Amino acid sequence: MMMPKKVKYRKQQRGRMAGKAWRGSSIAFGDYGLKVMSCGWITDRQIEAARVAMTRFIKRGGKVWIRLFPDKPITKKPAETRMGKGKGAPEQWVAVVRPGKVLFEMEGVPQETALAAMRLAAHKLPLKTKFVSRGQVE
Amino acid sequence: MRKDITVTAEVRASRGKNEARRTRSRGLIPAVVYGAFKDPVSIAVSPKVINQIVHSDTGYNTIFNLDIQGVETTPVMVVDHQNDPIRGDLLHADLKRIDLSKRLRVSVPIVTQGDPKGVKQQGGLLELVARQVEIECLPDDIPQSFVVDVSDLMIGQAKRVADIPVSGSMKLFSSPDTVLAHVVALRAEAAPAAAAPEAAAATTAEPEVIKKGKKEEEGEETKPKKK
Repeated sequence: MMMPKKVKYRKQQRGRMAGKAWRGSSIAFGDYGLKVMSCGWITDRQIEAARVAMTRFIKRGGKVWIRLFPDKPITKKPAETRMGKGKGAPEQWVAVVRPGKVLFEMEGVPQETALAAMRLAAHKLPLKTKFVSRGQVE
Repeated sequence: MRKDITVTAEVRASRGKNEARRTRSRGLIPAVVYGAFKDPVSIAVSPKVINQIVHSDTGYNTIFNLDIQGVETTPVMVVDHQNDPIRGDLLHADLKRIDLSKRLRVSVPIVTQGDPKGVKQQGGLLELVARQVEIECLPDDIPQSFVVDVSDLMIGQAKRVADIPVSGSMKLFSSPDTVLAHVVALRAEAAPAAAAPEAAAATTAEPEVIKKGKKEEEGEETKPKKK
């Protein structure tokens, strides 16, 4: 799973996710991409599941870029615990995404293959996404 | 590349996001024209025409005429544009006045030709490292693209900027050693390790926390790294 090697603080507050993803909203490396259309948290497990689904589908051939990184720790209190006694322990890592961010990119495969692979990846994610390609007139 | 297109524009007198929003609701977009040692002019143009130019074969390197009503008619090219990240609508464009007698620096796209032998025979992957190169030339000599033949590439071989054929007036500004495209061997996907991560995921690994202040002795109050 993806997670930071070093952090300054173990726990974070939840934060806000207002606005759009102005940075990282265009295809930079590959020919095709998966763009997220709403804001939310994507966990390290969801990113890994999407990556595995894509790379297994394209088998040999093609290259995949992951353009998000889960750098936000999410804490959780153990089950059947009374409230209080401080914040829970870090449970998972999430990437905060805003609408418009390109999550994955792909190169070296035909468009139909990329579309099918991205569709599989999109099913592993909790947010609405859109398939995009380089140079398309939007 | 010069094209016989004339885009009409009107001068914007007012500034700010509210006025820009009003301009967009009228079916135009705010834009700015600058360069050629003249003062910048804030204008409003049709996004449809700018979109057509930016997404044409010649792209950013299209030189067209801009007719700013009551001010000037000048050859320009699009140097930057902003799109809405969700809807993709064009929001703003930067246009630069072009002096047709002076050399200018532009980025020209690279187009690969052929299927590499390293892909067909050796099962490698053609990777495009650089998609454009920077050149300096006269505005009328800007090529639409550079075609690079990659059909003879084997795994581990690359095409570099030095392999691009440039004609007389053009001068390459990208480093000659810059790799444009290469064929790489594919790495096998580590599939059998699927069972192990489940067990590993159950115990939440924590990254190292960067400590403030004085360094304490090793082993004292340092978090055990489980990975």
